[in-house]
Amino acid sequence: MTMKNPQLLLSMETRRKIMPYLLIAPVIIYYFIFWLFPVINSVIGSFKDIEDQWTLSNYIYIFKDPVFYQSVINTGILVVFSVTVEFLLAFGLALLINIKFKGSSVFLFLAMIPMALPAVAVGAIWTSGFATRGWLNSFLMTFGFIDDAGKFLFLAGGKYASMLLIIIVDAWQVIPFVMIILLAGLQGIGNDMKEAGYIFGGSRFQVLRKIIIPMLKPTITTAMILRIISAIQIWLIIVMIFGFNRIPVLLEQVVLNVDELGSEFFLRIGMALSVIVALIVSLVAILYLKVSGSFEKKDGDSE
Amino acid sequence: MAVTLELSNIAKRYSKKVWGVKKMDLQVKNKEFIVLLGPSGCGKTTTMRMVAGLEEVTRGTILLDGKDITDKAPRDRGISMVFQNYAIWPHMTVFDNIAFSLKLQKIPKKEIRLRVEDTAQMVKIQELLERLPGQLSGGQQQRVALARALVVKPKLFLMDEPLSNLDAKLRVIMRTELKAIHLKTGATSIFVTHDQSEAMSMADRIVIMKDGEIVQIGTPDDVYFRSASVFVAGFIGTPPANFFNVHCHIDGKDITLTNENFNLSISRERFENLADYEGKNIILGIRPEDIEIVEESEALFSNEIMVIEPQGSHQVVALNVSDNIVKMIVPAETKLQYNDTLFLNFKMNRLHLFDSDTELRIN
Repeated sequence: MTMKNPQLLLSMETRRKIMPYLLIAPVIIYYFIFWLFPVINSVIGSFKDIEDQWTLSNYIYIFKDPVFYQSVINTGILVVFSVTVEFLLAFGLALLINIKFKGSSVFLFLAMIPMALPAVAVGAIWTSGFATRGWLNSFLMTFGFIDDAGKFLFLAGGKYASMLLIIIVDAWQVIPFVMIILLAGLQGIGNDMKEAGYIFGGSRFQVLRKIIIPMLKPTITTAMILRIISAIQIWLIIVMIFGFNRIPVLLEQVVLNVDELGSEFFLRIGMALSVIVALIVSLVAILYLKVSGSFEKKDGDSE
Repeated sequence: MAVTLELSNIAKRYSKKVWGVKKMDLQVKNKEFIVLLGPSGCGKTTTMRMVAGLEEVTRGTILLDGKDITDKAPRDRGISMVFQNYAIWPHMTVFDNIAFSLKLQKIPKKEIRLRVEDTAQMVKIQELLERLPGQLSGGQQQRVALARALVVKPKLFLMDEPLSNLDAKLRVIMRTELKAIHLKTGATSIFVTHDQSEAMSMADRIVIMKDGEIVQIGTPDDVYFRSASVFVAGFIGTPPANFFNVHCHIDGKDITLTNENFNLSISRERFENLADYEGKNIILGIRPEDIEIVEESEALFSNEIMVIEPQGSHQVVALNVSDNIVKMIVPAETKLQYNDTLFLNFKMNRLHLFDSDTELRIN
């Protein structure tokens, strides 16, 4: 190729350089308008009082409020237990479905139904289930497990009983989601990897522990991080079943302040609380990735 | 020699009508190198997987060193295996991959290190022990898979198309190394492949399979020079044997095999078994190197050259004999040109005769 017009060539080079930026520009603009702008706005808003003066009073109010500490503790308990339970059950189900027994695809379909339901519907289903004359008690009575006098007062239980119910409902909805991620990961592990494990002396458990789980680690990390983040943000199901302020959790308090209490003062408190929740989520996510070793530079990825 | 592995009447059925293996009887002797050879879908891999315990056996028994292992778990069988896609674990170093089985057997660490290093030396990967599989080339990964299988000192060593993912050059090198390793370790081995030249160059005995059944068991010379059927003669050899439909006419001591291209007279003494074929059609097979260029006076038939395929060490000449492509091997020195007319004859002691209905060998 002869270079007749070096100036044109230069401009082509420049065009080649700016092309990628042009292509992602719509996304960046979208982000600025609909994401970054509101975020900055509420961060600024959280540091201002109702007279629009700079202040820390919103944060001070929150840190003096015992309900805040209660909601941090409650959220913590929910995250630890629900994520653990969900992971273990989802992993078990994923392993089971991955065997590809007869009817496993039907089973997979059934197991995924809860995932398709919106949280409001889930709340409605379980509120009617947990009611004293709800379907859970009717079910137990029909099959003779309990009599009329022995009906469970699900919703009247203490704090920990109530949290147990929330964990059960949350797990019921979320297990399919975790299971699908883990199943996708499992299906990416070649059968011969497991077969080699069996040939070279592994029992089922040893193959699971020494081959399948380590090979599944990136998938497990993804599933866990997604679950932990959304577990920290749990609120709607709790409100659907117990209403506001019965089991205070972080995000429920944000919604309560912003939407329910309604005044400008509580809106500012809600903004400050949102900033705190965002910080907590980021910190936990980074901490988890650090502990799970995802930041370690793998030298096996050179190819 | 003592029998190491004995398959009696084993079969594998996948569903009502689909059989992976229909019927299989095989005895593998101690230190023997057996190759299961056949086209894809012939049941060779299924057979190996049944021996490994990775596939349930529908019927029949498998004895290893005289013990029934038909229903035993893979790890209780005393076998090891090299997989087609290597199947080395990506999250373990080469050392840990090779040491996996020894660690599970709770062998002392010092001994594990010694054995792993010995084996690594044998397959020439001693410098790679601390690497992760992701950093290795395909050939190196295959050597790791090989070392992992060798280190356990199995009673039986299984290899499932281990060379099929390597490039052509490396495949030929590994073939030689594998055979050398076998001669050194003397491990009784079963090797599955669809590559007939691989099978010929490595096997003590070749088991040729088709549609879930054994067609022939024999040494490389047996299957090449005394192919049991049209299928075997047409499967083995590069290029494989040529076939002609001929009419068999017996007149006293003379037998004449006739078709539109030639009249081939053969002596009855040599082909006693042909007695029943008077007046019938049979299939004549002849290998490419058994067709000779001769003087016009000695020619059985003549034909123009259709295509010449130089191979360096020799050349393959293709002829069009009544719309039937016939390939012959000619020494490299012979000067030939497209459209030359060749005068040809067959080596009489190298004829393969087959029944045209059963396609089984007659002579």
